[in-house]
Amino acid sequence: MTSLKQDEYYDLIRGVNWTPKYVPEEEIFPEEMSGSRGIPMAQWEAFDEPYKVTYGDYVQTQREKDAGVYSVKAGLERANYVKTADPGWVSTLQAHYGALAVAEYAAATAEARMARFSKAPGNRVVATFGMLDEMRHGQLQLFFSHEHTRLSRQWDWAHKALYTNEWAAIAARHMFDDMMFTRDAISTAIMLTFAFETGFTNMQFLGLSADAAEAGDHTFSNLISSIQTDESRHAQQGGAILKVMVDNGKIDDAQHMIDVIFWRTWKLFSVLTGPIMDYYTPLEHRKQSFKEFMEEWIIGQFVRQLDDLGLKKPWYWDTFVADLDQAHHAIHVGVWFYRPTVWWNPAAGASPEERAWLEQKYPGWNTTFGRTWDVITDNIVRGRLNMTLPETLPLLCNMSNVPIVGTPGDKWNTKDYPLVYEGRLYHFGSPIDRWCFEQEPERYKGHMNFIDRVLAGLVQPPDMAGALAYMGLAPGEMGEDAHDYAWAAAYQRKAAE
Amino acid sequence: MSSAPEVLKPLKTWSHLADRRKRPSEYEIVTVNLHYRNRDPNIPWELDPDIPMNKWYRKYCNESPLKHPDWDSFRDPDELIYRTYNLLQDGQEAYVRGLLDQFSDRGHDQTIAPDWLPVLARLYAPVRFPVHIVQMVSCYIGQIAPASTITSCANFQAADGLRWLTHTAYRTAELAKTHPAAGFGKNERQLWEEDPAWQGFRALMEHVLVAWDWAEAFVALNLVVKPALEECVLGVLGEQARRHNDTLYGLLSQAQMRDAERHRRWAGALIDMAQSQEGNRALIDGWIAKWQPMADRAIEAYCAALPEAGAAELVKTRVAAAQAAMVQYR
Repeated sequence: MTSLKQDEYYDLIRGVNWTPKYVPEEEIFPEEMSGSRGIPMAQWEAFDEPYKVTYGDYVQTQREKDAGVYSVKAGLERANYVKTADPGWVSTLQAHYGALAVAEYAAATAEARMARFSKAPGNRVVATFGMLDEMRHGQLQLFFSHEHTRLSRQWDWAHKALYTNEWAAIAARHMFDDMMFTRDAISTAIMLTFAFETGFTNMQFLGLSADAAEAGDHTFSNLISSIQTDESRHAQQGGAILKVMVDNGKIDDAQHMIDVIFWRTWKLFSVLTGPIMDYYTPLEHRKQSFKEFMEEWIIGQFVRQLDDLGLKKPWYWDTFVADLDQAHHAIHVGVWFYRPTVWWNPAAGASPEERAWLEQKYPGWNTTFGRTWDVITDNIVRGRLNMTLPETLPLLCNMSNVPIVGTPGDKWNTKDYPLVYEGRLYHFGSPIDRWCFEQEPERYKGHMNFIDRVLAGLVQPPDMAGALAYMGLAPGEMGEDAHDYAWAAAYQRKAAE
Repeated sequence: MSSAPEVLKPLKTWSHLADRRKRPSEYEIVTVNLHYRNRDPNIPWELDPDIPMNKWYRKYCNESPLKHPDWDSFRDPDELIYRTYNLLQDGQEAYVRGLLDQFSDRGHDQTIAPDWLPVLARLYAPVRFPVHIVQMVSCYIGQIAPASTITSCANFQAADGLRWLTHTAYRTAELAKTHPAAGFGKNERQLWEEDPAWQGFRALMEHVLVAWDWAEAFVALNLVVKPALEECVLGVLGEQARRHNDTLYGLLSQAQMRDAERHRRWAGALIDMAQSQEGNRALIDGWIAKWQPMADRAIEAYCAALPEAGAAELVKTRVAAAQAAMVQYR
């Protein structure tokens, strides 16, 4: 056989820039869609992705990968893991699918944005594969979750969550739409493929895969680790784009984009991933704490990649590191307390054994977040369940769209960071969320978070019942305590003694 | 509590598919209703309603003159999903790899006639550029289309454009090895930018890149631009190749034409669906009438450079037939 080697023709595949003549270049590549920032077309041709794949290799490899994950699913279908799984793990799956399955299909649009509008021809080639990858991830996760719709109505949210005005769905959309659907090709490459996919999806898809394997959910473990192999291939676009930016004197622009989106991503993951790793996943199956995963994947690996490109850690790094001990614990209390407002059943994760684990992983947990759980537990022990359920609505951040929270107990620090902009009062959960807003107020100023909508009269009646109706949550969908308060039994026994 | 609201019962499928009598297919489960930006046509993206991208999607997708009350009811006649696309195309690629290796082993490129070699250099190798633009415009249609079932078709079409680009790059590199003095792998950009044979297509493709309305982009690309390009570079060029003993390109172009035929099937199905609404047929005809003259000039310029005469008329007839088949899909 005398097949050509890939490097003998690869440059011809990506050598497809031309100089437009019949239509001006700036019309074919409008700045708002391309984002070339004055860097000439020829400079973008230096884009060089380290890991190269051609069409024929792609369809072969991907066919084989799909054969793998579908056959694991088929093989384990009869075992019906989800039917007998710990309810906390089921909640993990429901939260994950609802927030991510349809969003991943949508991510094909972000890749298509680069494949159409990037002035780097190599980027247009790699992004076309990335676009296919994201269709894969959306379709796989929809297919894998669909088989559970017969188990409870909450599984319907694997498809419909992002179509609703449920508060976490609004928060997810606000972040995803900001990061990947409303920016030019170059910003998308940096924010989505570099900041988000090299950093955080590693943690969601490899970290959670490790927990899934521990929990015995091999179907899900296989599925998401297979997804991550695609992510790590198309995530390399970000680094290649950053290199062009740095080489052309745009390092400050690049740094700024990373600083904005890194924080936004952190806030979303503190809602999505933190609680499921540290509270929902059954104790015996927790491979590492959320903080340990963050330290490994973000503080370790991601920072190394920033260094390699000559970029710096975001300016608020110390605050971010401190937040690893706070954000997701605080949000977890909120999500559990407001459990009727989510499409999964939050697991409290506050049994004596779980609290001991939390104190070990997060020294000081007992005198801070533990204090809140003391009150909740006491109410459950005394049969005052109504006092563990919400009657009013919390203050939400106008950037993250999640409740403004902080550390309770001995280290009380919860605080609103307000801003008046063009006569409107905005609320933020941190100075960094407020800083994100101030960078580009035009992007955010007209958006209404859930509470803004209540105040604007869009939620009727303006109480918890009206809020649930507006969010599209009915009995059978609304979350309850995942274990029906079984975790409090030990405290009840102790109280009885 | 007798007034307690009813607890929703589990369903056999997604709620949006549940009220049909038919059990949904795998295709429907994973392809239908996935553009959550359709949730609120006034604010497609969950940010300030007036950021440029919200305006872009309102203007070029939601307010397109081509109207249909339920674009999400569109179905790809091939019902391709990601998994089956790879199954299909891996098989097709195995065939093409076999072709390339077999002809290479037989020393095919050494046997190419001296009068055919410059045709390949001038009229085949630069095809990388227009098929790449097919890839780009298909990516645009994919990101702006009003339904995920349309997006999926457009995205696979974009990938097929990359497939054709890859085959062309491969053959160009192979030909350069055997015929280092013929300019393969060196002159294509210049030919694309300057050779009169390509200027019609270059003008056409540059214009279709800025057809921002989703429906006009789709009609222009799938009903006019692609058929014109395909009938030139896959059709008559492939046939003339066979008559000049370039059997390899004859077979390779036919393999690529299988993709084009699939594109015409989904385009026909979408046109058929659009035509069910009053006024759409006139709009579609108007767009074809707007784009066809530029496509005709592209066909004429390209075909004038082919060694055999009469190709332009043949291509135009075939393009018209392809259009008619798409417009009268049923």
